[in-house]
Amino acid sequence: MDSKARNSIKKGVALSLVVTSVVLVLMMIFGVIMLLSQGNVVKISSQLFYKVMTIHGTGMIGIAALGGSAIMWYYLSKYIHLNPKVFFTNLILTLIGVLMILTAIFGFNFSDGWTFLYPLPSFSAKMYGTTGALLFLFGLLLLGVGYLIMYFYLAARLIKEYGGLGKSLGWDYIFRGKKGYGPPPAVVATTMVIIANSTGILSGATALVESIINIINPNFSFDPMVAKHLTYAFGHIFANCTIYMAVIAVYEVLSGYTGRPWKSNKAFLIPWNFSTLFTLMIYTHHLLMDFAVPRWMLIVGQIFSYANGLPVMVVTAYGALMIVFRSAVKWDFASSMMFLAMFGWVAGAVPAIIDATIVVNHVMHNTKWVPGHFHTYMGMGVVAMIFGFMYYFNKTEGTQKQSGLDNVAIFTYFVFFAGLTGSFLYAGKISTPRRWAEHLPEWTGSDQVGALCGIFIIVAALIFTTRFIIGLRNVGKKPTSEELKSVS
Amino acid sequence: MYQSIAWYATLFFVFLIALAFSFVYGESRKLREYGPIQEKGYKIRKFYFLGLVAIMGFASAISLSKLPYHNQHALAKEDGKIVDVTGMQFSWQLSDENFVAGEPIKFRVTSKDVTHGFGLYDTHMQLIAQTQAMPDYTNMVTITFDKPGTYKILCLEYCSTGHHLMIKDIVVKPKGGK
Ligand code: HEM
Ligand SMILES: [Cu+2]
Ligand SMILES: [Cu+2]
Repeated sequence: MDSKARNSIKKGVALSLVVTSVVLVLMMIFGVIMLLSQGNVVKISSQLFYKVMTIHGTGMIGIAALGGSAIMWYYLSKYIHLNPKVFFTNLILTLIGVLMILTAIFGFNFSDGWTFLYPLPSFSAKMYGTTGALLFLFGLLLLGVGYLIMYFYLAARLIKEYGGLGKSLGWDYIFRGKKGYGPPPAVVATTMVIIANSTGILSGATALVESIINIINPNFSFDPMVAKHLTYAFGHIFANCTIYMAVIAVYEVLSGYTGRPWKSNKAFLIPWNFSTLFTLMIYTHHLLMDFAVPRWMLIVGQIFSYANGLPVMVVTAYGALMIVFRSAVKWDFASSMMFLAMFGWVAGAVPAIIDATIVVNHVMHNTKWVPGHFHTYMGMGVVAMIFGFMYYFNKTEGTQKQSGLDNVAIFTYFVFFAGLTGSFLYAGKISTPRRWAEHLPEWTGSDQVGALCGIFIIVAALIFTTRFIIGLRNVGKKPTSEELKSVS
Repeated sequence: MYQSIAWYATLFFVFLIALAFSFVYGESRKLREYGPIQEKGYKIRKFYFLGLVAIMGFASAISLSKLPYHNQHALAKEDGKIVDVTGMQFSWQLSDENFVAGEPIKFRVTSKDVTHGFGLYDTHMQLIAQTQAMPDYTNMVTITFDKPGTYKILCLEYCSTGHHLMIKDIVVKPKGGK
């Protein structure tokens, strides 16, 4: 059963990666279209702009989550038995959800963005009809259900194998002085994501249900502030958990390539526990400009957003540097991408932390600074990890070989992604608002620079994607000799 | 001002991070035993950690003493001019549109329909203050327009397809003049 189940997980992983990479390229094209329009190069109507913005945001977050889950399943199934049916259930629910969302946007003019503030969808339903709004909301809900099923299943499996989620987060080692190494990093990271993301998704689902009820029967209304808390708890946690899933690949690939252990000692486990806690509590940095929220809550938002940077900067990124330092590591596509992705993640944390400062947020919240920081850690972090893993997967399970073209593509991808995020951050510096279809003349320069960078990024991503798909032909045919590794 | 601080601080720290990554990359082709590297690495990490905590503590202490929320309390005592602002799809309504340079203003911001963002831009189109405009809630933001000229209100929270149309001019007259 083992190798059969694992083989079908591998097929699922391969399928998810294909979907991820193809959708990624499409969404990048949408990104460039938005910039060309904002930069007055090729104009689209503002209504179309907001539709494209909605699909770009939803699609990108969706594929980051899908790619992250693929990484998580691939490595987790090395350590514990997993039922591939659950993975496929999530994949299918995701695809159905995406179909509903696409229909809502392009068939029924839904354009409220991937996160929206109650009661916006009800008002849009009045303007553009209830079908679009309901299709979108139910589509998102379905996606959420898929992930919840997956997380609950994984939680059940971890509880069975380790005796509880506290144990798989290494509490025995932290509190009870148990000696040796804790569970593998893949298990620790998965536990963190289960706890954080289930909470996030449940909050998001509550906000979705509120909007749905309000559309169907406007007599039922809800507190918009509570809905806002729920929405941002979801948005923040869900976006961040994509990294915590994808980073598993960094641990596995870099330790494999350097032949050095990256194990869960106390200095590893404690920061991951803090990350879990901080990720749950710092979403209030999205409400810093809601002066009606209790002030202590906002100050907590600032201080813990700062603190949340510490585990990444001091442990994960630093650990990546240490493991590579004088290791004679073999630099190929996978190891380079993981190394650069750690840079992207930390580099993105800097403007994020700065923006979580209340006085700064007062003049930068909802400017382009915000997409500036998350494009850094998503594009140069999560997505780079996913691309790196795609190559690694293909090399291990299939037959892909590195070529000179790959190096050019990696270089292009990172240089121009830095240009793109730089152009966003600069736009934020000059107070360009985010989510604006039309830009004033003084803002268009940075849009044009961004669009140009975006085109090069797409070329690089196309190279990665086609090379990946061509290399996939032999995956799953290779007989697996590896046995399930021991559980702890 | 804060925009420039944010921009240069980001450039500076990202540059440092890039330097660290380049250095490690440059050394990556050598091969040494991991044990001693780890030992030394953990030692350096202690200082690195304390350094970061110190920077963050310092930044928190300074920035938390200047919260925009404090202004409202300060002004509540002085009682400046109060202006009610209502956002709606897709325009801004002000209870009073006469502004004079140097006069402290307290905006009481709310919304009639969905959530909007009340963003105040100065005469050079720099964002100088903002708060959320929410239905059922009123947020206060205080500002003193230093110089006469045309300021603007822009919507800073996505509120459907006319979001970018929510621009309103605020004309601030010189003190004492017409
Ligand atoms: C070629 C690469 C890309 C380009 C050119 C691009 C461009 C854009 C643009 C122009 C916006 C709208 C900015 C605004 O508010 O005015 C945007 C928003 C966004 N992008 Fe990207 N992007 C790219 C890659 C990515 C990646 C890799 C991700 C994540 C994995 C991503 C996630 C998002 C999200 C979540 C939003 C927010 C949408 C919203 O505000 O509703 N993007 N992007
Ligand atoms: Cu956040
Ligand atoms: Cu708006």
